[in-house]
Amino acid sequence: MLKTKNASLLDGYDAGEFYCEMMGKRGLSHTREIRNRLNAFDIAALRQRARSAGQELLDLGITFTVYSDRDAIDRVLPFDVIPRVLSPGDWNTIETGVKQRVAALNAFLHDIYHKQHVLKDGIIPADLVLGNEDYREEMCDVDVPHGSYVHICGTDIVRDDKGRLRVLEDNARCPSGVSYVIENRHLMMRTFPDLAEGIPIADVDSYGAQLARAMAAVAPKDVSYPTVVLLSPGVYNSAYFEHVYLAREMGSPLVEGRDLIVENDKVYMRTTNGLEQVHVIYRRIDDDFLDPEAFRSDSTLGVPGLFRAYRKGNVTLANAVGAGVADDKAVYAYMPRIIRYYLNEDPILESVPTNICREAKGLAKTLDNLDRLVTKPVGEAGGYGVVIGPRASKRELKDLRAKLQKDPSNYISQPMVKLSVCPTLIGRAIEPRHVDLRPFALTGNTTWVLPGGLTRVALKRGSLVVNSSQGGGSKDTWVLV
Amino acid sequence: MSSLLARFAGNIYWLGRYLERAENIARILHINETYGRDDPQGPDWHRVLRLYSDEKRFLAEHEDTSPAAILRFYVLDRNNPSSISYAIAEARENARSVRHLISTEMWTQLNIFSSEVRALGQRDLRINTLASAANLVITGCQTFEGIAEGTFFRGEPWCFYQIGKYLERADQTTRILDISFDRLLLDKDDSVSMVQWNLLLRSVSAYHAYRNRHPGFSRPHDIATFLLYDGEFPRAVALCVQRLTERLQDIETRHGDRRGVNVETTRRAIEFSLETGPGSELTPKKLHRFLDGLQIELGSVSNAIGEAYFT
Repeated sequence: MLKTKNASLLDGYDAGEFYCEMMGKRGLSHTREIRNRLNAFDIAALRQRARSAGQELLDLGITFTVYSDRDAIDRVLPFDVIPRVLSPGDWNTIETGVKQRVAALNAFLHDIYHKQHVLKDGIIPADLVLGNEDYREEMCDVDVPHGSYVHICGTDIVRDDKGRLRVLEDNARCPSGVSYVIENRHLMMRTFPDLAEGIPIADVDSYGAQLARAMAAVAPKDVSYPTVVLLSPGVYNSAYFEHVYLAREMGSPLVEGRDLIVENDKVYMRTTNGLEQVHVIYRRIDDDFLDPEAFRSDSTLGVPGLFRAYRKGNVTLANAVGAGVADDKAVYAYMPRIIRYYLNEDPILESVPTNICREAKGLAKTLDNLDRLVTKPVGEAGGYGVVIGPRASKRELKDLRAKLQKDPSNYISQPMVKLSVCPTLIGRAIEPRHVDLRPFALTGNTTWVLPGGLTRVALKRGSLVVNSSQGGGSKDTWVLV
Repeated sequence: MSSLLARFAGNIYWLGRYLERAENIARILHINETYGRDDPQGPDWHRVLRLYSDEKRFLAEHEDTSPAAILRFYVLDRNNPSSISYAIAEARENARSVRHLISTEMWTQLNIFSSEVRALGQRDLRINTLASAANLVITGCQTFEGIAEGTFFRGEPWCFYQIGKYLERADQTTRILDISFDRLLLDKDDSVSMVQWNLLLRSVSAYHAYRNRHPGFSRPHDIATFLLYDGEFPRAVALCVQRLTERLQDIETRHGDRRGVNVETTRRAIEFSLETGPGSELTPKKLHRFLDGLQIELGSVSNAIGEAYFT
């Protein structure tokens, strides 16, 4: 049989107008060896290995479960076998940039729940913070250990068509996805040992130990051997696999609300030998559901009295109650100013330039460029009410204009970011697909960032949506050292 | 000091029980099918309904009482708590809850095994396929048990796993003995019943062990005594009770959980029954009454353990 010479895997691959994480503009030097090795595969071999990787995810039960009336169906997060590679220089920028951001977020949260200098100095409008539905007045004057509010932070970062890294949003509540970072690496090493061999890739295995250390560091004072637990909504939660994974890595019990009880403002768990005190709770439950006495009274996931125990300092919650206000879309717009205000430094990682419509300048710029900008209401979650100018109809733009003029402070606008792409196995071909990156930062008394992070990839051609619910998958992320 | 959540103790106990249950249901279906091969009427599947005291429930829910319907009920029906599908699905759900306490290998095997069981269908219940379906279940459960033996950390969770397993096994052995005994004693033809006795022994993997102990003819009384009392046969009721007693003691002494007063009382009741025995002149009626009593007492131990440790 005749074999076509030079039919390399990446031959025909074209990233077009986008920045490519593997190729850069014209071949990145740090990915050369990896590209050479990839080119040695033919597509059939690559597909074969991709299939076995997918089967392994199912076998290992690295799945999220979708429950219907009759059946529990396990779904895997699609995994793409071509890794996303970050140079040492890029990683250094991301790592220092994320640390800086977490420091600013914590300083900001401490301030708004204490003296509120940032509001008095007019850095950010007071009503935007105090009127925010995630602002918890109950947290005023509560001192949290080491001033750490955002113990686990996920920062969503994208790269534009010029190759510049930019922060898209902060996740200061219960960011998820870190288990996939580590499982993707294990999967990659099992299915492609020959691709990775000898390449200096930063290790991701210490996350569990670092998490345990951070949790121990924020235990209430005078507790030398704190009991740390992970509080999960339970097996029906779509992130349950991750909860299991983290509990196991930390060596901590994985509890549900019904396993905990509060007595004399202290938190206990029900063990086979009666009650045992709990000192730190890594909770994967939102503020609203934590404690039916303090927050939503219809919550069955939470623990009555938990917030009382927390205010008394008898238990630490990670992340802190009320941290959600810091990852609000409106607050995001002020992050560059917040970083300068608290740290007296320029942001290492830039944000996406944001027009704040409550400011006259921002409103004018937005109204003049409606058809070119992405306009977002600040109070809505989950992409609701977002208008993508270049894709909107005339009528939609007209409606938006009216809304903006009526209630400008509810809006921000941003230019459309042309997300970078990565070579991705699609059917029988390698095609460019858009990616983002979510590094995870852990903060006890110091901040540590897991090298790499979760690379999510939009598997639909042209799609910019990387969410797993909308056809997103993930890749292993290689930080070269 | 213990850090085992009460809820997890229950999950692990049930994990052990459900896997043991699935294995034994498969054993019972297999042996019943084999018994019926020589019978012109075919296997009597209603006997299995009686064995698990499911007759009333089954008849209330089903108009179709054909062998196929009964087999469906015991293999595929996910709403039937005494079906293989139900037991394996429950085992997996319980394992999911304690996934961070069991080994990755245990979880992975159970995960793959449960998807194989989920894939079983009508085509696996035919006369020529039932044996291999039963075998798939038995082998899957045994593989899990082997992996647990080699990888499960011998802490308190392991104790609860063992207790669940041995309680269920003891209960199931009494049922297998029960299903065989009345039928075999009715058979007057010695050469036929010899074959059938051997089948019974094979169904609980006791054939060679029993031959070792009793060379020569199989006597019903010896077989019953063997399955109830043999100290070296791993499915013998007395041995199961002994093992679960040891694990209960571990929980009290090594793990310091002293909440088991009621557990102790109910456990002693079984020991007492076993010591007294079914009597020397073994009739099916006597044996049946005795086995019934044991099943009730095993139930009381299970309830006492639940009250003491799982809430």
